[in-house]
Amino acid sequence: MNSTASLERGYRRLLAVYPRAFRRENEEEILAVLLATAGQGQRRPGLAVSADLIRSGLLMRLRPTVPHSARTVRAAVKLIYLAALAELAAVITIVSTSGVVLGYVQRTAPAASHAAALSLTEDEITGPIGIVVLLWLAWAIGRRHAWARVAFIIFWGITTLGILAALAEDAAVAAPADFAVGVLAWLLQLTAVLLVFAKQSAPYYRPESAEPADRLPA
Amino acid sequence: MQEATFLILTSLADSSQHGYGIINDVAEISGGRVRLRAGTLYTALDRLRMDGLVEVDREEVVEGRLRRYYQLTPSGTKLLAAEAARLQANAAAAMRRLNPLGVVT
Repeated sequence: MNSTASLERGYRRLLAVYPRAFRRENEEEILAVLLATAGQGQRRPGLAVSADLIRSGLLMRLRPTVPHSARTVRAAVKLIYLAALAELAAVITIVSTSGVVLGYVQRTAPAASHAAALSLTEDEITGPIGIVVLLWLAWAIGRRHAWARVAFIIFWGITTLGILAALAEDAAVAAPADFAVGVLAWLLQLTAVLLVFAKQSAPYYRPESAEPADRLPA
Repeated sequence: MQEATFLILTSLADSSQHGYGIINDVAEISGGRVRLRAGTLYTALDRLRMDGLVEVDREEVVEGRLRRYYQLTPSGTKLLAAEAARLQANAAAAMRRLNPLGVVT
């Protein structure tokens, strides 16, 4: 096998790091640039170039792909990521303060301690699930999936019910830290819901959307 | 705006260029200081296209390989002009204050 073919194969393997849609449109072109910048007789991708391709490819997979022109959607996606972070903080708070909270319930309302322990365990299980769902929704909302908007408002509704249930259980008194972080996550979600359903966000989800930011056909 | 982005836009300011051309041009503009790698360049181009600052001018096939030429959009030109003016104003202010000290030759 000649050196160019072997080098090309090496580059193609590295380019697999990029999202498929990006590859479909750009792989041949990037490959041409990579081969043009390679040294004479080079058989394998160099270390620095490989690292750069892997880094850029991963970055492209992770970063939100909402154009600057869709300002409300961009802000909403960022807020949902923040809400996921707040949710993580809530789980950490719940786990690290569960001893204190249970002790408090034991002292003030011993009859409720079983229910309180159950409620904390429940939160420790649903919290991480909520984080995963939020990350997934942020991703889908950024990628123009109209169903994700609906799913997100349903998710927010469930979070609201959770907050109301916590209020009914006197969580604000028994577990003030847990409750505060929970309310923060809820507020972030509420703001994101308002942004996602704002009038300025609507064109982003229209199938025939003629945003200037739309990808040009390859 | 990051320097690499600024230099990419600058390389497209007066004519359209293909990827390899941009890399060479950016190296030249920056006096060899900034050497873009293909991964970085195409991540930036993708972002710039998504933001409507850069667009594809035309495509060619040279020696069996695809070559795509990029150009600035009107909003890309406007943004680059604004950024260049901002940098120039900052640099001028720095020079004005350094000159009396004899630091700048």
